[in-house]
Amino acid sequence: MASGCLARIVYSDVKHNFLPHYAAAVGVLAVSPLVFGLTELSGRLAAQPLEIIPLLTGIILFTPILAPEQNECILETVRAKKMSRHIVTGLRILCSAVLLAVLTGALGGYMRYNECSVTLKMCLGAFAGAFAIGALGFSAAAVTDNPVIGYMVSLMYFMMNLFMHRELGKFCLMSMTYGIKGCKPVAAATGAFLIAAAMIYRRIAKNER
Amino acid sequence: MLFRHECKKILRSAAFIVYCILSLLFFFTNYFSDCTGKEDVGRDGLVAVEDHDLIMEGALNSLMEDYNSNKYICYPYGYYKAVRLKGSKRDKIREYLKEITGTDEKGFEELLDKGEAYYEGYSAEAQYGYHDIPVKENFSYDRFREIMGDVDDMLGGGSVYRPDNLMYSFSLVPMSEEQIQAEQDGFYKEDRITRGLARLFCDYTGIILAILPVFVAAWLTAADKKRRMEELVYTRKTSSVKLVFTRYAALLCTMFVPVFAEMVVALLEALSVYKGESMDMLAFFKLPTVWLLPNLMFTTALGVLLTEIFSSAFAILTQTVVWFYSVMIGFGQLAGRIGRFTLVCRHNTPMERNVFLESRNNFIFSRIFWTVVSLLIMLLAAVVYNAERGGRFNGIRLFGKDSIFRRKA
Repeated sequence: MASGCLARIVYSDVKHNFLPHYAAAVGVLAVSPLVFGLTELSGRLAAQPLEIIPLLTGIILFTPILAPEQNECILETVRAKKMSRHIVTGLRILCSAVLLAVLTGALGGYMRYNECSVTLKMCLGAFAGAFAIGALGFSAAAVTDNPVIGYMVSLMYFMMNLFMHRELGKFCLMSMTYGIKGCKPVAAATGAFLIAAAMIYRRIAKNER
Repeated sequence: MLFRHECKKILRSAAFIVYCILSLLFFFTNYFSDCTGKEDVGRDGLVAVEDHDLIMEGALNSLMEDYNSNKYICYPYGYYKAVRLKGSKRDKIREYLKEITGTDEKGFEELLDKGEAYYEGYSAEAQYGYHDIPVKENFSYDRFREIMGDVDDMLGGGSVYRPDNLMYSFSLVPMSEEQIQAEQDGFYKEDRITRGLARLFCDYTGIILAILPVFVAAWLTAADKKRRMEELVYTRKTSSVKLVFTRYAALLCTMFVPVFAEMVVALLEALSVYKGESMDMLAFFKLPTVWLLPNLMFTTALGVLLTEIFSSAFAILTQTVVWFYSVMIGFGQLAGRIGRFTLVCRHNTPMERNVFLESRNNFIFSRIFWTVVSLLIMLLAAVVYNAERGGRFNGIRLFGKDSIFRRKA
């Protein structure tokens, strides 16, 4: 019964709130062969699109997770419900993470099919980076209660990865492209920490149930 | 009164505070750390010369190699892309090569066989390099450029054969002592240091000003709706044009504040690094204002209009695409990359004064063009706002009326 209720929440949320975002994430993946060469790439050349494209999809999928409640009418309805908002938020995070994993896997599979030297480890690394930048956007939006700031912070961090990766050290999300070792576990852990910290912050500081 | 009120509102917003932090962060980690007083002469001591013979020979040999392996490396959006041609396009390149070398079918086959085999990386597939294939005698350079332009088009752009790029791809020669001296004289005497540094400052700041302002603009435009203040504002006597343009002016003024602060810091840094040298004290205020204001105006205007019609998410997404296109196209050329319609002008060096001056007319045109476009966009935003105020228009709702892309923050 509870699982049926959760499934209904996911279905309704996806249908009314997140379908355009999921479509945009798929769209980014679909247009990527126009921007990047995705055939016969080896080493760092293969890592470049495999890291950049999931970073963008991560921003698109995670940053607007709290956006539906920006509408006061929806917020009032949600407040009146018995179901905890944290469970709903958790479900949204899970959906975004699953879709991100599927899209990253699809990109890796497509590249491998086209004779690029892409491994499972590289795909996991790309997922970790995308998860971290998505978590950054989510937490910035959660703390300020403003998805616009979430996009702003995460897109700026994306730009910093493009232009000033040396200064980022272990927090560089394009470490496979630039040959920096030991960044991906840091990215995954930072992503999980940011999401947990944002949820705790909203529970304590905003008294969100 | 309204202007002051809007400025106060923006200055106290989280979006503006984050804008300032990110802008300063970008400034300190890029321009500030680059300006060390050890300015090199650019391009690793190489200079591009308009030597037609050198260009034609280099490009021909490179095209022969690419044709033979049917692998053309391009950077259409700043990223590596290996293009492989099929059918008529491949035949057309063959015809062009025959025309440039002045050979018939048999002669061309003989030329192709002259390639020296080499292996790239761990690949077992041999590549063939060409070094001394001659261009047909008295072959016209204009025709050559025309052919290269067509080749670049067939490859989808971003190749080394792009006519504007030919000189930088195939005709780089080491600088002579006189040229190095002239380059340094240009920096110290003609540019009086700060004019060159101001160009580098504009290059970095222009990148950020083509994206960051959209967030603040989208937030301010959506704020009334989010706080359910729109009815209150709609019933005021103030005209829509006045309201929209006052808000626009407030956005521009407030968002230029951190840029102005960066100009002052950049000047102080230059004074400290180049102690005792003669400098143009106003250079950091004149050029950056002309260079950067159109970027700020356009990004803000587009953010306001698209948020008004669609939503802030749509405005951010669109501006991100515009930014990516403006910054990444022609990514390899970082000095004097200034076209007539370039939004983000690039000149990533305090040197190469002459390269910048060659694009001066394009620069002036582009700055005027984007200023006019921005004002037209704002005029359109005022019309849309007025229609919403009168209840004749309620925005465009993408993906249905219940979607997240409806008009809200």
